[in-house]
Amino acid sequence: MTQETDKGELRERLDLIESMIAEGRRVTGNWGWAFVLWGVAYYAAFVWAWLGWNPMAAWPVTMITAGVVTAIVASRRARRRPRKGTVRAVSSIWLVMGVLLLVLMMSLAFSGRLDNHISLAVVGTMLAVANGTSSLILRWKMQFACALAWLGMAEVGCFGTQTQGLIAFLAATFFCQIIFGIYAMISESRQEQLNGEAHA
Amino acid sequence: MPELPELNPVIHGKLRLALLSLLAGVEEAEFTWLRAKTGSTDGNLGAQLQKLEDAGYVKVKKRFVERKPQTLYRMTETGRVALAEYVRALKELLGASIGTG
Repeated sequence: MTQETDKGELRERLDLIESMIAEGRRVTGNWGWAFVLWGVAYYAAFVWAWLGWNPMAAWPVTMITAGVVTAIVASRRARRRPRKGTVRAVSSIWLVMGVLLLVLMMSLAFSGRLDNHISLAVVGTMLAVANGTSSLILRWKMQFACALAWLGMAEVGCFGTQTQGLIAFLAATFFCQIIFGIYAMISESRQEQLNGEAHA
Repeated sequence: MPELPELNPVIHGKLRLALLSLLAGVEEAEFTWLRAKTGSTDGNLGAQLQKLEDAGYVKVKKRFVERKPQTLYRMTETGRVALAEYVRALKELLGASIGTG
């Protein structure tokens, strides 16, 4: 067989391997929608607590609802996509961060040791860790900027007044969740379009 | 004159080679994704994947998601080694054919 195989056919096989491996590498997760969803959830919880109607329930109820919606939508979206190590790594970071943050904040709230400064410092730092780690795995500078913004908000929570901290939180949520989420959705859809064209 | 390497006949088939290369880039993939990427028919794809499974190059996992059957394929370590060997042999052959004009 080896002697009969000509140069052109061998090259064709090598090109086929390269293009198919590249197809697999192009598989990415689509998570822009989740950033937007959580951004809206932060605002909803904030407004609910601010209105003063059962404010203790505002954050746990909104966050758990957002978590359940994220889990349902993510599992539906992931069903037909191939699994990749990087996607699993990034998803794991966010899952662990979310669960730990919920447990920690609820423990602080029920122990009566939670105040706005601590909340902002903890939430900002945890989100900075998750965004920073994801950005290093995905080599995404824009997400690294979000990590810095969340860290900045945590610092304002530590050193600023309560009002400054809340303004920093609302601004960070707007830029790092809503705007970044929309930007991520546009990038993901462009990438999918390019993949489709490359495959065609 | 050094002997030229043989190409693994299980991998050499175009569709089987495409399938192994696709699976090399992901952890596991569903039948429908492999079908979309290769543009193959269900019957042909199933037959070629069966050959790769018989050779121990891929592992299959069947499950139900929302009452719909889902078939997932994953490349085994044997498959990875075989593909790497195939690429090495291919490059060696290409080098030899370039050398001899």
